[in-house]
Amino acid sequence: MSKSLEVLLLDDEPIVGRRLKPALDKIGCHVEIFENPIEAVARIDEKEFDIVVTDIRMEKMNGMQVFEHVKKKWPRTKVIIITGYAKMELAREAMEKGIFDFIAKPFRPDDLRQIIARAAQALGTPIDLTLIKD
Amino acid sequence: MHCRAVYGEMIMRILEKFKKITHKEPGIRDFCIQTIRFRKLLENARGLLALLADGNEKVLGEYILDRHYVTSLIDSSVERLGMMIYDACVLVPEFGETLYTQYDRHKRRAGELISQNSPSATKDMEANTNISSDPEYRLLSDVLTWLNGEPSDPGSTVIDFMKQTFVRVLKHIDTGNNSTIELLLSNNVSKAPGSNMFLLDLWEDAVVPSVKPHSPYAINCIPLKLLLMDADGDNLSPLLDDKNKTATWVATASEYQLSLKILEPDCSFHLEATVSRHEPSDFIFIFADTTINTENILPQGFHTEITNYGQLAWKLDTASKDIEDSLISIGRNLSPKTV
Repeated sequence: MSKSLEVLLLDDEPIVGRRLKPALDKIGCHVEIFENPIEAVARIDEKEFDIVVTDIRMEKMNGMQVFEHVKKKWPRTKVIIITGYAKMELAREAMEKGIFDFIAKPFRPDDLRQIIARAAQALGTPIDLTLIKD
Repeated sequence: MHCRAVYGEMIMRILEKFKKITHKEPGIRDFCIQTIRFRKLLENARGLLALLADGNEKVLGEYILDRHYVTSLIDSSVERLGMMIYDACVLVPEFGETLYTQYDRHKRRAGELISQNSPSATKDMEANTNISSDPEYRLLSDVLTWLNGEPSDPGSTVIDFMKQTFVRVLKHIDTGNNSTIELLLSNNVSKAPGSNMFLLDLWEDAVVPSVKPHSPYAINCIPLKLLLMDADGDNLSPLLDDKNKTATWVATASEYQLSLKILEPDCSFHLEATVSRHEPSDFIFIFADTTINTENILPQGFHTEITNYGQLAWKLDTASKDIEDSLISIGRNLSPKTV
């Protein structure tokens, strides 16, 4: 059995982690959820995640700062940004800086699963979305 | 679509300014401007319906959304409603005080929703287990109740207010069918030989009214051509109880847009259509008063709303081909020969 993808999910709105964790568990990801970016960054210092999914607009530390931190510490890690409504321009700029992809709220869990699958492919650990566990 | 809307708004403002600075008040220009403004009213109403549809889709619980989405939905709805009320007040200035009083009430309700920290679990949510109990979803459900719940009194929901405003404007516009004919004739606008239709070029006649009658077949208006494609000439009539009776119409047309209005006393029938092959823009809107049986006129797929004054019907967010086919069917159904 292949190793599960290690995913860190950071969003200061509790609904995001609460709803996304089960959706990502279904495709075999091992997900750690955080609402506080400082705590998330501390965890990133301790552990190399395959994928970091982070909101862009948070208090204390924004998503781009989290991205910069991840890139310094773990260059292999793919970072996916969740943007708020109508923040697409910001997200495009982020992609130019090396973000793997972005997704704008509101979105369906499956939309994120598709991006995660592409990130997994890029990491050399493909996942099969047709085998979603119920 | 946005560029076209901005361009249309810009042209309209120029025309309105042009109207103000000219000493002579050409009634045809006023008529064209009124037609354009009515289409803006429709466009803003359509924007409100799109916001409602988006909220209805999101509330089912499939989406990851945050509070910001919901507050944006509230803000956008208030903004659209405001634009619509502005259009209504330009069309009928005497409605201004009443409409803005009601609009202010909705703005206050919107402010309450945005500032509310513990949204209620509504009856709809309790009944529908598909709706999530997350606070963001509860707030969204409250917003949708404000937008289109069961109205506690007339106009208490945004969509009910929108419909009422529509009907009020239509009623006001329709009181002048006879004076519209007088206006057209006094400005030397005549029907083409053998035609029952006064035809105005929406943009050209708004600037320099033509003294020569336009033929419905000579003017390049795609929706009008489609409407007349299977009709008996331009001899259209919605008065199906009297097959021999023909009706007088005024059509205000541009390449992609048609505003068609009957000019008969005690009868009200409007058709507004855009056919541009750009699906998000294309639509048909019809208003028919209670004397007209729209069942024999409308093809399938129209959303209809019954009011005390008559029936509102529209088709949008569908393939351009469907809009085109519907216009051909409506033309055929309005043609007395086929009744």
